[in-house]
Amino acid sequence: MSFVRKNAWTLGLIALFFVLLGVTRLIQPSFGVSGLESLARAALPFAFATAAMAVVVIVGGIDLSVASMMAVCSVTAAVLMQTMGGVPAILITLAVGALMGLINGVLIVVTRVPDIVVTLAMLFVWEGTALLILNSPGGAAAPFLREAIVGSVLIDGLPQALIVMAVIVALIWVPLKRSKLGLAIYATGSDENAAFRSGVAVGRTKAAAYAFCGLFSAFGGLSLLALTGIGEPVPGPYLLAAVAAVVLGGVTLGGGIGGLLGPIIAVFILRIIRTILTLAAVDPNVTTIVEGTIMVGVVMFGAFLMMRGRGPT
Amino acid sequence: MTRRLMMGAAVAALSVTVAPAAFADAHGGYTIGVSNTVQGNGWREEMICAMRAQALVEPDVTGLIVAHRNTDSAGQLEDINNLIEAGVDAIVLNPSNPDALNSALEAAMAAGIVVVAVDAGVTAEGAYILSNNQEEYAYLGARWLFEQLGGEGDVVYMRGIAGVSADTDRDNGFRRALAEFPGIEVVHEVFTGWQQDQGKQQMFDFLATGIPFDGVWTSGIDNVIVDAFVESGAPLVPIVGADNAGFVQYLTTVEGLQGAAVTNPGSVGGAGIALAVDILNGEAPDSTTVLVDPVLWENTTDEGRATIMAAQNPNLDPEWPVSVSIPGWTDYTMEQIIACEGPGEG
Repeated sequence: MSFVRKNAWTLGLIALFFVLLGVTRLIQPSFGVSGLESLARAALPFAFATAAMAVVVIVGGIDLSVASMMAVCSVTAAVLMQTMGGVPAILITLAVGALMGLINGVLIVVTRVPDIVVTLAMLFVWEGTALLILNSPGGAAAPFLREAIVGSVLIDGLPQALIVMAVIVALIWVPLKRSKLGLAIYATGSDENAAFRSGVAVGRTKAAAYAFCGLFSAFGGLSLLALTGIGEPVPGPYLLAAVAAVVLGGVTLGGGIGGLLGPIIAVFILRIIRTILTLAAVDPNVTTIVEGTIMVGVVMFGAFLMMRGRGPT
Repeated sequence: MTRRLMMGAAVAALSVTVAPAAFADAHGGYTIGVSNTVQGNGWREEMICAMRAQALVEPDVTGLIVAHRNTDSAGQLEDINNLIEAGVDAIVLNPSNPDALNSALEAAMAAGIVVVAVDAGVTAEGAYILSNNQEEYAYLGARWLFEQLGGEGDVVYMRGIAGVSADTDRDNGFRRALAEFPGIEVVHEVFTGWQQDQGKQQMFDFLATGIPFDGVWTSGIDNVIVDAFVESGAPLVPIVGADNAGFVQYLTTVEGLQGAAVTNPGSVGGAGIALAVDILNGEAPDSTTVLVDPVLWENTTDEGRATIMAAQNPNLDPEWPVSVSIPGWTDYTMEQIIACEGPGEG
């Protein structure tokens, strides 16, 4: 029972996702393996952007430059892959991503300028950097990168893109969460002063969290390259979508509470809602309104449950 | 336990609100999917409305699914894949990039879906491309201008953005016309960047040099060039522009202005729907690339003036190109494109 209670929000999201999957089947009975595969592919860049955002939100910050960092990483990898092998290009891109995140974090810690201001400024800096690297869409993607997210593994309907994403996120997040640094991230997020007095190196912890944000953004940029085969210097609509998924996924914007599983399931919920609205031929101008309404509805419902949970039942 | 029950209730309520729209799914006839990644731009909005209006008047089309939002190539891939899942018979898209969408477009064609790219090309093998003939656009306007000058004189050549395919195509057309008129000299060539303010400033600067010239060819940055002449008090020379509402209005209202508007219709989207239906009905064109030829409206003859007057409509969005239909391709009325309603849309 305590497992259910502890993970009630995530379990609820999973249930909601499966219900939405059912709705999709209801509208389009032929929705099957290929539908799941394209859903998982579409979710990839959003999932990494959301993971990136979640880490800094948990540490008590926010990073508005996530989409711009993704653009820098996508064009960096696209340019590098024209001249070198895919693996070194990926490693360099990941290092570039982590470095950008680290720069964001160090600026916030050292200058004491609010995170929202620093990362807003860096949004423009990274956007310009991406355009300097590649002023119009171009470059190339290693074939193995493109194939890595196509098709299913083990059984039909278990999309390879989903497995790739889950493995990458788990390999980074699970050890991190269980490490000293992970504990420090949660401690700093819930109460910076208390964490500091308990001996947590708050500044270093924050900077590290932003570096991980940059690293996840780099994976996001690589997934864009894997999807399209080209690098696009202009950032896509990932910033606000990431914030939305983080909130919907049960991470408190104040920090210290939540994980990555909830937000990533939230990404899938938001993607499948778009699929449903497309399948049902809903007016595209209404689509975004419906998306926003569902989001705020679910979060409000969650807050309502929390309030009831605290009451003297 | 109650919590989870309530979650279930919320989910059920959600499903009910979403489900009724499912009846939009068409039976018999064709369902066409549309994908576009720029929302809120006059040319693109006209394109979408032309698609809806044409789908409405095509007797074989019973459903239209429009995925129309501001997004990147990855988002357009998502939309195209969703359209494939929706089981459409054809996809008409304005591609965000010629190379980025191939994986989804190839999957669509493998599933037997007709793919028509409008306005810009895609490199996916087997996809049809329908766009305005930009070379002819420049040639028509330039030839009219050079004829207007009696085959003799100096012209200012105001281009778009260097390196963009539409600009390159237009340059080819302009050079072709130039080669036919050896007496014509280009005294000044600039890139406006397709920016109104930049083009206007460039014209101010050139007028200030005092170098005489006899005509101006613009790549669509047109009404501000007229403004520059009027504001600086310089005598007007013949000006060629596009069929933007502002310039077309000037052609009928500015005293002493001789000019011509060459059409660059956003209604090429409607032509894309017509082409998709033709292909579905087994009447595919011989070539996978179809170019729509522009027409020229000039204000120096009574006939030309009448055409311009007929094209204007106060109900038309001022941001739209004035040419709302393409003869030989689109079949809808002006009322239908303004209404902007397609078949079977929720």
